[in-house]
Amino acid sequence: MAKALPLKGIRVANFGWVWAGPVTGQTLGFLGAEVYKIESRARIDLTRMLPPFAGGVRDPDRSISNHAGWAGNGSVSLNLKKPEAQELARQLIAKSDVVVENFGPGVMQELHLGYEDLRALKPDIVMSSMPAAGLYGPLKDVRTYGLSLSSITGIDSLTGYFGGPPIPFENAFADPYNGVMGAFAVLVALSYRDRTGKGQHIDYSQQEVVMQMVGPAFMDYELNGRVAGPMGNRHPLAAAAPHGVFPCAGEDRWISIAVATDQEWRGLLTAMGNPEWAQTPEFASPAVRVRNISALHERLAEWTRAFNDYELAQLLQRHGVAAAPVLNVADLLHDPHYRARGTFIEVTHPLGFQETIYGAYVKTSRTEANVHPGPSIGQDNDHVFKELLGLSEERYRQLIEKQVIY
Amino acid sequence: MDGALEGIRILELGQLVSAPYCGKLFADYGAEVIKVEPPRTGDLSRQWGPFPQDQPHLEKSGLFFFMNTNKRGITLDVTAARGRDIFLRLVQQADMLIENNHPKQMRDWGLDYPSLSPVNPNLVMVSITPYGQTGPYSDWNGCDLNAFHLSGASSRYCGRPGDVPLEHGTFAADFYGATTAAAWGLAAVYGRRQAGGGQQLDVSCAEAIAALFVGSQNIGAYAQDGKFDRRTGVGMSLGAPATILPCKDGHVWILALEPGQWNGLARVMGNPEWMQLEMFQEMLVRAQNADAMYPLIEQWTMEHTKREIMDLCQAAGCPITAVFTVAEAAEHPHLKERGYIVDLEHPALGKIRDLGAPFKLPESPGGPTKPAPLLGQHNDEVYGTLLGMSSAELQRLHRDGVI
Repeated sequence: MAKALPLKGIRVANFGWVWAGPVTGQTLGFLGAEVYKIESRARIDLTRMLPPFAGGVRDPDRSISNHAGWAGNGSVSLNLKKPEAQELARQLIAKSDVVVENFGPGVMQELHLGYEDLRALKPDIVMSSMPAAGLYGPLKDVRTYGLSLSSITGIDSLTGYFGGPPIPFENAFADPYNGVMGAFAVLVALSYRDRTGKGQHIDYSQQEVVMQMVGPAFMDYELNGRVAGPMGNRHPLAAAAPHGVFPCAGEDRWISIAVATDQEWRGLLTAMGNPEWAQTPEFASPAVRVRNISALHERLAEWTRAFNDYELAQLLQRHGVAAAPVLNVADLLHDPHYRARGTFIEVTHPLGFQETIYGAYVKTSRTEANVHPGPSIGQDNDHVFKELLGLSEERYRQLIEKQVIY
Repeated sequence: MDGALEGIRILELGQLVSAPYCGKLFADYGAEVIKVEPPRTGDLSRQWGPFPQDQPHLEKSGLFFFMNTNKRGITLDVTAARGRDIFLRLVQQADMLIENNHPKQMRDWGLDYPSLSPVNPNLVMVSITPYGQTGPYSDWNGCDLNAFHLSGASSRYCGRPGDVPLEHGTFAADFYGATTAAAWGLAAVYGRRQAGGGQQLDVSCAEAIAALFVGSQNIGAYAQDGKFDRRTGVGMSLGAPATILPCKDGHVWILALEPGQWNGLARVMGNPEWMQLEMFQEMLVRAQNADAMYPLIEQWTMEHTKREIMDLCQAAGCPITAVFTVAEAAEHPHLKERGYIVDLEHPALGKIRDLGAPFKLPESPGGPTKPAPLLGQHNDEVYGTLLGMSSAELQRLHRDGVI
């Protein structure tokens, strides 16, 4: 393996909280950056309070529901309501390359940690602010959670059963997506800094990033004035049929099947034993299959119903058809493919308990990602305040007592 | 002002969404991205549309337009021996290759990483596929739909219980894979000297979602307790209200979990008596009684428009938003003021609007400034300047169908 990870030597002060900001830190951390999430017992990140807890012990350091998403981050604890804590944060930033935050616009300024403050400390700092809808504009103060953020992008209007109302996606799909794109944004700015010596303040609108996923539907609106509704599992551009999810034997078992080419269609027919219904003119070409997709899906569902999902996927794949089982959460840990790729790993948390998190979800041939468990609050205080910022033992103890470091 | 990624040269040998969107992210922030398409037919998205008036045309696909702004486009038959040789010469001059072909396809073409690495040890090769380069499904045929549903996301989070699990109505898995590939790929280029050279990054769209999204909040819990939740069709199981409800002119995302938000919603709704009931006093308890509560809130939402509801609730401190249609999202004054909707001119499509840069870099602005290339538009330019080919040579290659 390689001499060093690509981002070795880059230090990140991560004020990100909940999910999107932490994942930005995680991504940079996996790739070799030294990342400190800045948080406090004075205002505990709400995801630390989510059940379940390791070993059933209710404690903000033992919430395993989001531990995987915070892996790669270290943690220092600072009660940022106190000026002395703000000063320590500034000292850390002066020794950092990157600052990440996902508060609402203006919050960092109130903490005297706005971009102008930070630039005075470290002229080439890269700061990424990731509020819901960017740093300016009429919607800048919009309140959202990751759950509802997607509604102002248009993507929720496309999600639901075909012809029916929109259905909520029951968790913040946008959050980890923004976390990863947030890391890309930081890296773009670091690349610019490397070439020019200049830092900058990234105005990262989570709305605008997620709205890119609506690009194909936006183009149809732009070109044809058509406004799409819930799509079910149909092909977003009506370029494939069948294109859907079909029932299999057992409780809540399903398979996804997509047929875009004639070759795949012939493969599907062979796998089905060439039933008569499929040879009729209403399914004879890609164009008519798309037009008669409802009837086609009904027929296909009658056939898939008898099969085990994994076995049916194997059968269809043997005939070149794009098909795969629809997995649930439990399946992920047992599925042979994810097991072979080491997607999920068991680690020992610094507090001693075992937990399962996700490992390096991108496989890299030269540099092995640096994965370590999500932090306990303030686990890196000693190192950061004493070694990096040079506080004396006495001063350090004092600040802990005053609940500045808290 | 320069684009932030100026000086990085990228080859893209990809189609449809995952590799092209990854390439677009680089191109829109200033990298030089050369898109390699098969002669005559080009990227499959040229056949997918959407087309103006639904009339198929290789140069008028909206999907192709969206995915390929700011790139230079060349045609090359990499399946022919001469085409492959030319491709290798391009690889020698590239920092990165982004591709989303089937792994077996790349091996058959002699363009897999073990073949390319000796040609350019500094190359960062980013391979994006539904399932990845290794593991029992790596040889499977697949697309966005298969990858998404293999991730666990739909079974847990989208659709009614007992009914079909759903995707988003867009290419969500491809976008996830593309973004993941962009972040990890740029890091690999950025730290290449430190790392000691180039490498291959194996990105699986299914795995990216299974890990980052589903894995984050579910896997640890399942591993410990052996229990897992399934989709409800309604919203969150740990708190309520958290759902989409109909209103007078569409739908709204009703979200009021914390006490201040719940009280804000109560004020906006005129403090109805039912909201004082014990069964609605805490977000977890409310979730247990959501079936009783949602119709009561719906009575109120049905009397108002989505804009009214969003404005009133936001002012009262609730994270409640209108479910914008694609048109409402695109035409919102907020995005206009931020310059997110940009105007471009395309030789075949004419004047056309596009979505702008996903994030703003004040020192080095990004975003689409040049339309997607016509098929083979930059053949002369790229082959001439980069590889020093003569026009006679180019004509010969063209005549033989290599470019």
